[in-house]
Amino acid sequence: MDKIIARKRWFFLFSLLITIPGLFFTLATPFSGGSIGLKFSIDYTGGTIWEFRPESPADPLVVQAAVASAGHEEATVTEAGTGFLIVRTKPLDLQLGQDQIDNAGAELQAIREAVVAAIGPIAEEGSVSTVGPVISQDLTQQALLLVVLGSIGILLWMTYRFRNLRFGLAALAALLHDVIVTVGFFAIAGTVAGIEIDALFVTAMLTIIGFSVHDTIVVFDRIRENLVRHAGAPFGDIVNHSIVQTLGRSFNTTATVLITLLTLLVFAGGSIRTFVLTLFVGILSGTYSSIFNASPLLVWWEERAQARKAAAARTRTA
Amino acid sequence: MRKFTPYLILATALLALAIDLLPNLSLPASGTAGGTRPIETKLGLDLRGGLRVEYQVQPVDGVSATAADLATIRDIIERRVNSTGVSEPLVQTQGTDRIVVELPGVTNPDSIRALLGTTGRLDLVPLPREVYGFFNTATGQPTDGVKPVPGEGETLSDTTLKPLFSGDQIESSAVQIDETGRRVVSFKLKSEGSELFATWTKANIGSYFAIVLDGAVKSAPYIQSAITGGEAQISGPGAAGFAVDEAANLVTILKFGSLPFPIAEIGVTDVRATLGASFLGQALFAGAVGILLVFLFMLLHYRLAGAVASVALVFYVIIVLAIFRLVPVTLTLAGIAGFVLSIGMAVDANILIFERTKEELRIGKGIVPAVEAGFSRAWNSILDSNVSSLITAFILFYFGSSTIKGFALVLIIGVLCSLFTAVTVTRLILRSVIARKRFSSPYLYGVAKGDLDTLDRGVING
Repeated sequence: MDKIIARKRWFFLFSLLITIPGLFFTLATPFSGGSIGLKFSIDYTGGTIWEFRPESPADPLVVQAAVASAGHEEATVTEAGTGFLIVRTKPLDLQLGQDQIDNAGAELQAIREAVVAAIGPIAEEGSVSTVGPVISQDLTQQALLLVVLGSIGILLWMTYRFRNLRFGLAALAALLHDVIVTVGFFAIAGTVAGIEIDALFVTAMLTIIGFSVHDTIVVFDRIRENLVRHAGAPFGDIVNHSIVQTLGRSFNTTATVLITLLTLLVFAGGSIRTFVLTLFVGILSGTYSSIFNASPLLVWWEERAQARKAAAARTRTA
Repeated sequence: MRKFTPYLILATALLALAIDLLPNLSLPASGTAGGTRPIETKLGLDLRGGLRVEYQVQPVDGVSATAADLATIRDIIERRVNSTGVSEPLVQTQGTDRIVVELPGVTNPDSIRALLGTTGRLDLVPLPREVYGFFNTATGQPTDGVKPVPGEGETLSDTTLKPLFSGDQIESSAVQIDETGRRVVSFKLKSEGSELFATWTKANIGSYFAIVLDGAVKSAPYIQSAITGGEAQISGPGAAGFAVDEAANLVTILKFGSLPFPIAEIGVTDVRATLGASFLGQALFAGAVGILLVFLFMLLHYRLAGAVASVALVFYVIIVLAIFRLVPVTLTLAGIAGFVLSIGMAVDANILIFERTKEELRIGKGIVPAVEAGFSRAWNSILDSNVSSLITAFILFYFGSSTIKGFALVLIIGVLCSLFTAVTVTRLILRSVIARKRFSSPYLYGVAKGDLDTLDRGVING
């Protein structure tokens, strides 16, 4: 516990080790044609998702063949649990203003008939969701804008409250770490398990950005207090002491949040599972980066500044 | 002032509890219409089932719709929606070119989409004899032109054709059964259109004309005799004429007028009510378990202080739910997740305060000054943390789409309320607790037995 600062290089190295694979998978996304990296839901790609429960259990591949026979070879069919099947196709039935008024739902109806012909009647309709290309474009632009705005907001607030740009930048570095870790996690999860990110992913990202600085703030606040109380002590010692003093609350504040997220993950279903998982990963990463990245970064910075000052002093005396 | 705080807090809690639990409360409605609006927990379509359609207004010949056009389109769509009898419809403009329609509990989504998405521009287009031929009423024989008379569903490719008049000249319309038993839509023209129609039909007996809806021909009959009464009808395809739904939709569209700009669907979601209900049940159960686990965590770590924090957390839940009902906040699945998450965050301020109190107790302070120091010294961190959460929540609220806005609003309300309950309410209860002698042992506030006599064991002392 006394050596968090002394071992800061190891913690930086650990952060590199957990960010690099994720970063690799993330950056591979646009080049791999969808096989490696982030898997985007129809919110981003555009398309239709149709959920239904057949009366008798059916093989997704059989359903997929039936949908393909209705003219949708691009369709994929997966199981959703509790007997539901999920059919994904390109956007269906979007009415573009010039259509005649009597063909709404015709494309989906054709698919439905083909499926019923192949596997028998449908017991329960779930939901049908269609996203056109316009919304998808909006979301991608919006995502980047929101993350950038959120980061700038936090940077300004931290710099203002601690009257020190270094505190702001160290907090920014820690939260970018969390963003990269979380995106990377889903790039790997998308590749390995096919987990898709949807419109709520950005919401989770911003929530993580807002929450991940909480622990950073607690440590920084203590550093500021200890700088006054132990004026003259080495900066590294003060920071290390501050981290140790606040370790308990960093863990406990994170623990209560993770507890509530876990209950949601275990008991709540539907569209928010990925959302909750995103928050979970990001907030976990946020606690790590607050303790082991943000404050050590301050020390590293201070030590460099002092080394430069010392070097400058030496050249002056020489 | 301090003397009244307990009563104020108690009154707030009771009021909130009444709002949470009493049925049939109502508030004066906002807006100019007056009336009242019931206080109720509003659920999003993903939880109660229904149809949500997002439209983008399309430019015509490079001209985009203005804000006034957008408002007109919204009004027309709203009237079309109301004619279907769907309860609690929501028609909103969004941004500069979007219209979002939310219809809870819809069972015929396809028909409603057809009704709402149709531009509804009706044109009566004379078809010149030289090109399309005519029907000789004397001989009863048609004479072919150079082009065939367009059939149902075809578009008029000839751009030189100009409508005689359009749907704005229609005064009223109705579904009727014509003499051959087909279902048709009849309409009556306003005086200007009626005169134009009378003059033209008188001079062009035997000529064909096309009734065109949104660019597609509905029917192209010939003029049997001069039509002077301003009444005409559109026949549908097939022997039986229009389907019931389609005819009703067409009448609604003619009644409320055409949209000044066409609109295109860019997103459609249709959720069955049963599915939504099961999601709601799961999320509420998760929330309840989450709260209980947070209680347990706080009790184990901070003992008596943890119990006080748990009471404050109950306050928090009561007040937040009341605000959700008052505003009202439309709760989606993501919103409920945000609320459950906020429960975990709401006790964070308590944790900071209690940890600080423990530190003060360890260096030998008495319980009263230790608790006071805990509150005052933790305040900076609590404020800074909550403001950073608010910063990102406000960004989401201002720039996000409607689902994201709902989640952000939940988070904003949660953060603000937790500042009140975790700091003010906790302090109030804790002050009265520590005033009693038997509650003064540091052990009750989470200090480990072994720590009671030792001072801060950090690298640098105290």
